[in-house]
Amino acid sequence: MRAQISGRVFDILNATFLGVVVLICLAPFLHILAISLSSSRPIMSGEVSLIPVGLNFEAYKQVFSDSSMIRALGFTVLLTVTHTVLCMLMTVAAAYPLTQKKLKGRQGFMFIIVITMFFSGGIIPEYILVRNLHLLDTMWALILPGLINPFYLIILNSFFNNIPDSLSESAELDGSSHFRTLLSIVLPLSLPVIATLSLFYAVGRWNGFTDTLLYITSPELYPMQLKLYQMIQNNMITELMQMEGAVMNVLQPESLKAASVMFATVPILLVYPWLQRYFVNGVMIGAVKG
Amino acid sequence: MKFTRYLGRYWQLYALLLLPITYFFIFRYGPMYGIQIAFKDFNFFQGINGSKWIGLEAFREVFGMKDFYKTLRNTLMLNFLDLLVSFPAPLILAIMLYELRSAWFRKLSQTILYIPHFISWVIIGGIVYQVFGTQSGMINNVITAMGFQEIPFLTDKNTWLITYLAVGVWQSAGWGTIIYLAALTGINKELFEAAEVDGATRMRRIWHITLPGIKPTIVTLLIINLGHMISIGFERPYIIGNTMVRDYSDVLSTFVYRIGLESGQYTLATVVGLFQAVVGLIFVLGANYASKKLAGEGIL
Amino acid sequence: MIRNRKKETRMKSVRLMLVMLLISSLLLAACSSKSEQKSTGASGKAGTSNQVVLSVEVFDRGNSPSGYTISDNYWTRWVQDNFGTPNNIKMKYVPVPRSEEVEKLNVLMASGGDVPDIVFTYDSSTFYRYAMQGGLTDLSGLVDEHAPNLKSFLGEDVLNYGKLEGKQYAIPAKRANIGKYSSFIRKDWLDKLSLPVPETTDELYTALKAFKEKDPGETGGKVIPLGMTIAPAQYEPLIWSFIKETTEEEKYTLTQQIGSRDYPVLLPGFKDALQFMNKLYNEKLMSIDFGLDKDKNKLVEDISTGKIGFFSEDDINIYYQDGSYETLQANVDGAELIAVDVYTNEKGEHPKPEYAPIGLYIMIPKSSERAVEALKYLDWMASGDVLFNMQNGIEGENYTLKDGIPLALENPSEEAKNRMYNAGDMTIITNGQQLGSPEKNREARALQFPPKYQDEVRAAMKVSNTDTIPPVLMDKPIEAQTKYGTTLLDKFHEFIVKTTTAKPEQFDTVFEGAMNDYMTSGGQAILDERIKVYNEMKAK
Repeated sequence: MRAQISGRVFDILNATFLGVVVLICLAPFLHILAISLSSSRPIMSGEVSLIPVGLNFEAYKQVFSDSSMIRALGFTVLLTVTHTVLCMLMTVAAAYPLTQKKLKGRQGFMFIIVITMFFSGGIIPEYILVRNLHLLDTMWALILPGLINPFYLIILNSFFNNIPDSLSESAELDGSSHFRTLLSIVLPLSLPVIATLSLFYAVGRWNGFTDTLLYITSPELYPMQLKLYQMIQNNMITELMQMEGAVMNVLQPESLKAASVMFATVPILLVYPWLQRYFVNGVMIGAVKG
Repeated sequence: MKFTRYLGRYWQLYALLLLPITYFFIFRYGPMYGIQIAFKDFNFFQGINGSKWIGLEAFREVFGMKDFYKTLRNTLMLNFLDLLVSFPAPLILAIMLYELRSAWFRKLSQTILYIPHFISWVIIGGIVYQVFGTQSGMINNVITAMGFQEIPFLTDKNTWLITYLAVGVWQSAGWGTIIYLAALTGINKELFEAAEVDGATRMRRIWHITLPGIKPTIVTLLIINLGHMISIGFERPYIIGNTMVRDYSDVLSTFVYRIGLESGQYTLATVVGLFQAVVGLIFVLGANYASKKLAGEGIL
Repeated sequence: MIRNRKKETRMKSVRLMLVMLLISSLLLAACSSKSEQKSTGASGKAGTSNQVVLSVEVFDRGNSPSGYTISDNYWTRWVQDNFGTPNNIKMKYVPVPRSEEVEKLNVLMASGGDVPDIVFTYDSSTFYRYAMQGGLTDLSGLVDEHAPNLKSFLGEDVLNYGKLEGKQYAIPAKRANIGKYSSFIRKDWLDKLSLPVPETTDELYTALKAFKEKDPGETGGKVIPLGMTIAPAQYEPLIWSFIKETTEEEKYTLTQQIGSRDYPVLLPGFKDALQFMNKLYNEKLMSIDFGLDKDKNKLVEDISTGKIGFFSEDDINIYYQDGSYETLQANVDGAELIAVDVYTNEKGEHPKPEYAPIGLYIMIPKSSERAVEALKYLDWMASGDVLFNMQNGIEGENYTLKDGIPLALENPSEEAKNRMYNAGDMTIITNGQQLGSPEKNREARALQFPPKYQDEVRAAMKVSNTDTIPPVLMDKPIEAQTKYGTTLLDKFHEFIVKTTTAKPEQFDTVFEGAMNDYMTSGGQAILDERIKVYNEMKAK
């Protein structure tokens, strides 16, 4: 009885606290949304907080009528999907063998991988490599160098390790090959972490743009975030503009910036709710019983 | 005979490893000759191989800069505080989400909590200023309206630490929960039911079932975190930091940015990077060793 | 049963192998297709009667209107038709992201290949570094031979900025307007308090005090008499007005050049300037959080909402359409800002820095085989009315002439408007509108603003061109400046903020501490090197 009451109290406190945290996390997003829908005078005067002032949809009209923006979005989706699929294939292919304790050279392979978490050659040799492979100004320059993130590999490793050995051992006794064990036992049991890491890879690619600054020169290969970055940066450097003696039409209104942020952010935000279906509790337990 | 039998059983695993290891050698080890920049007087036009060797001269120069020690100290300090505050935050949040009764509220919260991760630092910088500013920041407006003295959240270096941590938790905690939530799905629900029958309180359940259930994930993340004690992201200290709190906000990454990218001294920047790499590797191996001894788990 | 399963297993593993194969073939395909493209392209070019390719860097700001890209637009086509094709040159434009120009240029240079024949940067340190490391073509003879128009357009003064130890390693662009800063005060507040327009620092102080005490804008105690930030436009006019008269030797040796600016840290009077700022701050006459405002966002907001009484700023910045002045007037009825020149030095002048007469440093890498064509291109741009056309577009569609000064049409067609979006970045040999004389250039600049502000823009530009201090040009680059520049700029800002916000009684201690920190972080090294270079200059 007492346990029940304290449980109820716990539930209420818990939900309230989370509610507050949720509001704090949502507020900045609402702020950007409000700015994207406001007119320029109230924005400049700092009057816009969470509710639009001088409501209008001009900025969104402009974003959606910009064909380069739409194309960038399309390219980003293609890039992100390709990247995520290839990354996951490679990461799984690397992680699974490295969980097999009996594999000779396992420690050595792990060490090779862990080293790369810390040591890297720097941007100049990386650029030279990408150029020598003739990847410059192609989509592959944005995909291949980041195929496996060692950090994610280790996480996947630890999840694979967590699968009871009894499962794979019994499969092995049945004469199942390693490929088969991986495909029919390990992967189905690992859907939550596969979904999680896919999300990590996808978001990383979606939000990343520093490599595009170096590797991409053709505008048709500009991802969304690069366009966004340029837009925001252009406004950051008013002092430079002055130095450049620039003409005024370089300046973009704040609302357009905010609308572009929304345009670039909302699609990727929707991925996680969709992936949550793979976060099903108790997959593993069912498998053990079956 | 033994060898062929071994291969017969394990060739598939090696086949799986073939492409990933090739990848690591081409894309990760291929460019590593760039590390020699640390030992050369790098000249843009002679390239990496053509530049003159200078031995350890650049190391001497870096280790002789007082800013190096200041930024090293700040990096360790900020990372240590993060380990105390920002590392447990997503874990706690994840458990709270997991304990929520209402499924729709859980899904909704999960989705909203990770939004801050998607807002770029440039924008966060502007918002931080509006919220924490001394003169007309939102929080200080409330504080002064209640008749108290305003708090210099951004301009006093000690209070700034709180701001730095708060923004860090806000920005990353929701995102960090995702991995724990994935781990939590692996816990056997029957254990909870048994505990309920025994009349265990929520806290006891969390302590005895939930936490042990995700221990491997916690340990893995902790080890990796320890390995990164000496490296620090550029944007958070750079954007939230400012001239008034540079005594604390100046860290190795901003130091490298200054001497490397902006001043074009690639040699010095590479030296610092190499130093961080060596120390990081030692840390992660040490943490891994300790963890294997203490918890029986490691990442290697 | 078991056999069946085995077969299935094998099927599965075969399938997995196939997936892996597919991936690797995809990767290979990606690599090879690209290389094939390259090779066919090269052989194709060789075929067309030895036309050469001239590649030119171009800033990409990500603002191309639809239908254009940064490397293929109205002006690139126009250049190809008017310069490229007649000279049998194929123009190729290589985009470099504006905000990452130095970084990308560094990587291109260091990796050896793909460096355009014409590159440029605003960053003088980058130019010095490239020149010192032997990566640039010496253009001295080539300019005389191939670019007479360019030479007379730029003039000796401008070209000197691209010379290091007598060698022409860069061709600097020519700046049309060298004025930087003006100050602005709320005239309506002065009128309300029956105060005269201040003309000296002392009168300004009186006005600021009055703004604080009487709050003429009825801000409810939120008045900020002096709007301040940690950006040069706000602090430089104040600081430089305190600098005492300096000898030529002091000017050369004690000035500290960081980036493109001269800093007066060691010049006599610097401490007095900070003392004055400290006083203003402690009497709460200045923006409290100025040390946070490096992008001027807060300043703009406070101006727009009518909280600020006085501030210094780049001469034209507040007059843009939808800019801070227009917003202020929409927010506050009767708000009026006027340009004033108040900060006064010991001689009664209103000194303030001016720009060096240059813009970009245009460079030709040593690896380029097209130095002659590159100079021909720049020379062509400086010849006849090419520059005028590129800066103004088509008469009747983009502009009309008024007393020989082009006046942009207020409502150009979409096509005409889009045509001009990158004109400024294409005309690399100039910075701003060039019409032959500073007065005409200024007039043309004023005409770019909304008509209601044009007179005020003229007034502000008059202020920004009065009593200006030209930058000090040394014979050769000061290596320490290149090396410590970025660190010292940070230290300098720390210097200002720490001394300004110190308690008055602690000012001296804080000042000494900050000065010490500044000097040991590279200030001393710059000083030593400048003395050395100055003595060498004298010895000549």
